[in-house]
Amino acid sequence: MTRSNLIDKGYYWLDEKARDGVRLMAQRISRRSFLGRLGAMLAGAAMLPLLPVARSFAQESAVKEIGDPKTCEYWRYCALGGTLCACCGGTHNSCPPGAEPSPITWVGTCRNPVDDKDYLISYNDCCGKAVCARCGCGNSERDRPVYYPTNSNSILWCFGTEHRSYHCTVAVVLGEAADSQ
Amino acid sequence: MIRDFLPLLLLAALPLSAAADDDVRANYLLACRGCHLADGSGVPPEVPSLRNTLGPLTATAEGRDYLVRVPAVLQSRLSDVKLAEVLNWVLTEFNADTLPRDFKPLTVSEVTAARTQVLADPIGYRRARLFGKSVAE
Repeated sequence: MTRSNLIDKGYYWLDEKARDGVRLMAQRISRRSFLGRLGAMLAGAAMLPLLPVARSFAQESAVKEIGDPKTCEYWRYCALGGTLCACCGGTHNSCPPGAEPSPITWVGTCRNPVDDKDYLISYNDCCGKAVCARCGCGNSERDRPVYYPTNSNSILWCFGTEHRSYHCTVAVVLGEAADSQ
Repeated sequence: MIRDFLPLLLLAALPLSAAADDDVRANYLLACRGCHLADGSGVPPEVPSLRNTLGPLTATAEGRDYLVRVPAVLQSRLSDVKLAEVLNWVLTEFNADTLPRDFKPLTVSEVTAARTQVLADPIGYRRARLFGKSVAE
């Protein structure tokens, strides 16, 4: 028996097994239920990285929203220096899949044009992936130089995370600001 | 007469004090929460915890000054009045178990005076002058 014969035989064996398997499945499972199961498996596999594992933040209270979170002009980004997670597979308040939110942040205030109130905004960096180069913003309302580190948006806030590489930034509403600052 | 109205007066005062407390908490969130987190637990070792670690410091003048002289406290954008409110809120909210029985809240004049004395080496100062191991590193 030559080598090519052996390979052919192997293919025949594989064909036969596949054919038998498919026939068995066709006899036992209705076409619709097979498609349903296949669809669920595909959708499930696609949804897996979207599960909210350590990416989302505490539930925000009902804040009235306006504007497009994929633009630098969105009201929450008034002091955001960095790239927008909303453009990188995340949202304005959750990290993209695979990126880890930094617990340490800097906190500023932005005025919501809908109700004209000031809100406390936490700028959390999402870390552990290479930088996302989409939607870079350089807003600097009440931003301070880096020698005031707690009030500076020029610092990469990937502290307390497993990896220190900066990916993008989100803006989480913590609540209303005090009346007089 | 006043006795009849006393409960009403007390009721009327309640929302006011609650609102003031909200403002103090909001200022804590603005000035401190970024690093020390909303519950004061911090991210040790990079950010020390503010929970049940500060009480003993309030017993001496040196310790009380230290609370104000730490760089991030001293540099915060809060006024002396608001800074005193936030510090006292941190002490009573996160450190109730370690406060001395005769705890006296920090006064605004204490804060004003201490705020002018920048601590160049907070860690060295803490090791050399303060209460050794009872204070969180």
